Amino acid sequence: MTNSDSDGATWRIGVDVGGTFTDLVMIESAGATFVFKAPSVPADPASGVIAALELAAAQFGGAVADILARCELFVHGSTIATNTLIERKGAKVGLLTTEGFRDSLEIRRGWRDDVWAHREPNPPVLVPRHLRLPVRGRVDADGSVFQPLDREDIVGIRTAFEREGVESVAICLFNSFANARHEQTCAEELREHWDWVSVSHEIAPVIGEYERSSTAVVNAYVAPRTATYLQNLNERLAGLGLLRPILLTQNNGGVIPLERIVARPVSLLLSGPAAGVGALAFYRQAIGSDNLISMEIGGTSCDALLMHRGDVAVSDEIKIEGYPLALPSVDIHTIGAGGGTIAGVDSAGLLFVGPRGAGANPGPACYGLGGTAPTVTDALLVLGRLKPGPYAGGAVSLDEDKAKTAVLEKVGRPLGIDLDAAASGIIRLLEQNLLHALQQISIQRGYDPREFTLVAAGGAGPMHGASVGRMLGCRAVYIPRLSGVFCALGMLHTDLRLDFVRTRYGRLDEVPAPELETIFAELEAEATAQLEASGAPEIDCTREIDLRYTGQSWDVRIPLDSLDKSEIRQRFEAEYDRLFGHIQPDGVLEMTALRVVGTGRLPRAAAAQADRSDGAPTPVEWRSVFLTEGRAEIDVYDGADLRPGQHIAGPALIAEHTTTVMVGPGDRLEVDGANNFMIHLGDA
Amino acid sequence: MSDGTLDAVTLALVQNRLDHITKQMGWVMTRTARSPIFNHAHDFSCYLTDRTGTIVAQADGIPIHTGGGGFAARALIAAFGDTIVEEDAYLLSDPYVAGGNHLPDWVILRPVFCDGTLTAFSCIRAHQSDIGGGAAGTYNPEAEEIFHEGIRLPPLKLVDRGEIREDVWKLLMINCRTPHYLDGDLRAMLGATRIGAEQVAEHLTELGVAQGLAYMDGILDHADKRLRVAIADLPDGTYKGEDRFDNDCFEPMDIPIKAAVTVKGDAMTIDFTGSHEQIRGFKNSSFANTYSSVYMALSAFFDPAIPRNEGTYRNVEIVAPEGTIVNPRPPAPMTMNTVFPACEIIHAVWRALSKADPDRSCAGWGKNAFPITSGLGEDGNTFVMYHWFGSSGGGAVDGRDGFPQQGGLNSLCGLRIPNAESFEQLFPIRFVRQELRRDAAGAGKFRGGAGGDYAVDIFAPVQYAFRGEGYSMPTGFGMDGGGDGAMGSMKVTPEDGDAMIPPTYGVRHIAPSRLEMLAPGGGGWGDPYERDPALVLGDVKDGIVSPEKALAEYGVVLKDGAVDLAATEQRRTNGRT
Repeated sequence: MTNSDSDGATWRIGVDVGGTFTDLVMIESAGATFVFKAPSVPADPASGVIAALELAAAQFGGAVADILARCELFVHGSTIATNTLIERKGAKVGLLTTEGFRDSLEIRRGWRDDVWAHREPNPPVLVPRHLRLPVRGRVDADGSVFQPLDREDIVGIRTAFEREGVESVAICLFNSFANARHEQTCAEELREHWDWVSVSHEIAPVIGEYERSSTAVVNAYVAPRTATYLQNLNERLAGLGLLRPILLTQNNGGVIPLERIVARPVSLLLSGPAAGVGALAFYRQAIGSDNLISMEIGGTSCDALLMHRGDVAVSDEIKIEGYPLALPSVDIHTIGAGGGTIAGVDSAGLLFVGPRGAGANPGPACYGLGGTAPTVTDALLVLGRLKPGPYAGGAVSLDEDKAKTAVLEKVGRPLGIDLDAAASGIIRLLEQNLLHALQQISIQRGYDPREFTLVAAGGAGPMHGASVGRMLGCRAVYIPRLSGVFCALGMLHTDLRLDFVRTRYGRLDEVPAPELETIFAELEAEATAQLEASGAPEIDCTREIDLRYTGQSWDVRIPLDSLDKSEIRQRFEAEYDRLFGHIQPDGVLEMTALRVVGTGRLPRAAAAQADRSDGAPTPVEWRSVFLTEGRAEIDVYDGADLRPGQHIAGPALIAEHTTTVMVGPGDRLEVDGANNFMIHLGDA
Repeated sequence: MSDGTLDAVTLALVQNRLDHITKQMGWVMTRTARSPIFNHAHDFSCYLTDRTGTIVAQADGIPIHTGGGGFAARALIAAFGDTIVEEDAYLLSDPYVAGGNHLPDWVILRPVFCDGTLTAFSCIRAHQSDIGGGAAGTYNPEAEEIFHEGIRLPPLKLVDRGEIREDVWKLLMINCRTPHYLDGDLRAMLGATRIGAEQVAEHLTELGVAQGLAYMDGILDHADKRLRVAIADLPDGTYKGEDRFDNDCFEPMDIPIKAAVTVKGDAMTIDFTGSHEQIRGFKNSSFANTYSSVYMALSAFFDPAIPRNEGTYRNVEIVAPEGTIVNPRPPAPMTMNTVFPACEIIHAVWRALSKADPDRSCAGWGKNAFPITSGLGEDGNTFVMYHWFGSSGGGAVDGRDGFPQQGGLNSLCGLRIPNAESFEQLFPIRFVRQELRRDAAGAGKFRGGAGGDYAVDIFAPVQYAFRGEGYSMPTGFGMDGGGDGAMGSMKVTPEDGDAMIPPTYGVRHIAPSRLEMLAPGGGGWGDPYERDPALVLGDVKDGIVSPEKALAEYGVVLKDGAVDLAATEQRRTNGRT
């Protein structure tokens, strides 16, 4: 690539702050793309961001200010909110709630995800009971006021919160989704005394007191620390010459300007992985398919996403660290399977892989940082699929002897098998777990994975893509060269997105169409106003409705382009049939919520053009690699040598800067026009 | 592989694959079943057995179904034996002749053939929406014989070489109040077992049939070894435990369930000799349900990573004398058994095991006693409402307090209590409160769950079906020095009359009314004097424990809203007075 620091060029910058690395992706207006990785600084994540910018500035021979002055889009994905929750470093929160209903947070609807692990305690309640204080005043199910709000109670609660040193307040009143006036009154009173007041109907105006309170409370818990960090980062960048405020990636996969997120940072809890949606939206053009499944594998986990006809499903039932959030969020399925996943043998001699991982420290045994448990990375090194020496852009160095010792002692000897058999067993079991995760995100949601192209990403994904894709029944696997910065890149290909919802129960045939139109129009006006204020040049609103058959307790969401009741019914029945395999011809339809998704389209960068080559690529070395049956000398290519139009027959390995691609026997790798890799899978 | 040794890696892969196949069967079931009980409440279990009817994989299932499914498969083999051919599918339910656990759980079993050899069965056990009998919805609290509980199904050939037997199908439909659900649900069960059978056949064929069968044996052998290792850690001896009912659904009565657990080396025997004879009401436990309850008790007691196939329990012998409440003779009724006495059996086994390994002991879970109301809504349609909001508290173990409210020990918190706001949309009611009780949690180093303090106004005349335990004695027993959870109480106040104390079991018609209940608390674990005083202070500030109880039960002296450490230390050292 050429130095693009020429006159008139502008930058788009995406920064993804992960646990270990801060990834920076810069796209120049003509499409040239640059990647930088700096170590994350957990104590001061902004320093990691600045450090990555300094690396870029050093490469271009200028100052950070030169880059920022010409930055037209700065998108940030941050784990700060997530880490605040995981590390329990959030604010002291007080919850104001309705008399008689102060315990829903603690009761957790009586549900546990893993029933057999009953010796594990529930996640800690973020607000202890003595800070969950009740106010008198009751709204009925239809929104009418049964008992007026007692203002003296509010004053009493305020005093109690002040006495206890509450830093951040959450408000969730019973039935506030149907009538928010009581919540508003409480909020007005408390906002005079606290900077941080999280009000349930403002953040998640949905039915269900448990999930709504949980959402408001998690927001109150992470808000002060998250907002302070983001504002601080924005000020530092502005001080260095950034002209526009930064944008943040949200749980719904879209981006939003900083000033619209500081009051509700709970929408940033999936900030990193949700950006995978943008990456899929970008690569789908090169792939030529709107049906994609991605598996992004890092050190500890694999995030799977499914795009069908260009859309990634958004649901508002997610759980982070055991806390449910009723917020529109990308449907991501995550399993504990990555490079650092630990393998072993149980007390009766059965091999297992995961779900536990070695983390960044000590990490795999081959890192030489004190780890002795064999991990996936150790197994790959033993098999010759990874190379000893510098790894992950030089961040660590892989020690083959340490890997061999760990795999042999913890897996090979206990099972009575040799080193290669043990290492390949670890990889086969890992890949089976990956396969099962991808089947879950497809088959469980009613899709046939064979009709999808697998996109293998993350530092560790391209190693397993061909093998897992073959088992899944896909014909091809797509591997972006920038796999290691999949999400940072995705951030630069997303639009502004705002989700609005209004809860409205009623029989579909009894709710007048003009009322539907009025609600939709109000939501659209709100969406449009907010997107305009965010500077979106082109705005688009889509309508959705949540429907069910009477008596059911879950909804099916369908997009809506007409208010014609029979058309709505047809669309519902088509989707219901796809999901459940039958319909109820006489079933009465009940609506529960109306939704508007507002999208503010951002301009897209041009795709870079790389020179084509028809010549056969030349391997840089031959390496002894254990394949499925035994060892063979296989070709190893340097990714930097490969040009669009070139082909490689498997088995082969491609070493890229931040990842290694494995091409299986019988597979054919093609460098496509976008300069990425498409592996056409053989039958073997 | 001909020498009988198995490849260690392949064994892990086959086990993982078979488990995953049962999960996929569950997805298909959830996506295709008609009635909400399946596609939302997930009241079903998918499993695979080997050709002898021994469960090999059951990754998708509810805890109380653990291990019971093998009885159904073995009953099928006993009934049809060599006549089972490809493309057949079978149905059964009866607990007396067909290995069923209780009548509402119907089992579809589909043989898996590879190259003409029977290799496995692909099965689903699922609770039907209605099966006829004396009450809509499968639970008839007034049943005195199994004939009052619904249609009994011996092993039946439902699909004959790929063709559904229409005569049998019609027989089933006319014996059900909700045939539109039943028709859809049975087809979903047939579809999901077909997916399971196809995938098992494909996998076994890939491995080679003989080897595939050897790997299934290997999976069972591995599980057997895991539990043996765990049992061998316990000291040899006989350990006794019991739990009890205080009524037989009709009148007060002391009904003990006694378990004697004998550990000898790596083998275990669980003997129910001495348990009460079978009872008049529907709380008798079938043989399959008794086994399943014991298996669930063991799996929850030991390491959850131990597989839950039937190999696990190969070295566990169960003695359940005929004619007792854990193995009744016909025609004793038994529909309630997956809740009661499943809970009592698990409790009895846990109490016995606690003497063998006090560190792993589990305190009792408060028994659920909330009623079900039904009546006519404003729209003229019948509504049925379960009062989950009055759920009881769970028991503590070493390392955690009991769960505050839970939908039943038999699900280990696998049942989701609805949001009260959702129920206000559906029913003519207004909730008054759903909060936690004070001074109801069993005291302990780890305390029990508090249980619910629940009240609701019901604006329509309704029928109440009462069915519960825990109102005349504590049910959440303490362990290792922990205290019992408080017992529950209930009252119903009609708008036009005086408050009444409802019966433990039975049906009543009541005018619009307020239902109030205090749910039983869970048992505590360990000496309350060892509870961290800071946690006790927290419970006092939170209103879960009163200052008086903090002093009396926990020996914690509070002063000006803080722990008086010196006084607490002194009181705890001097012992209880």
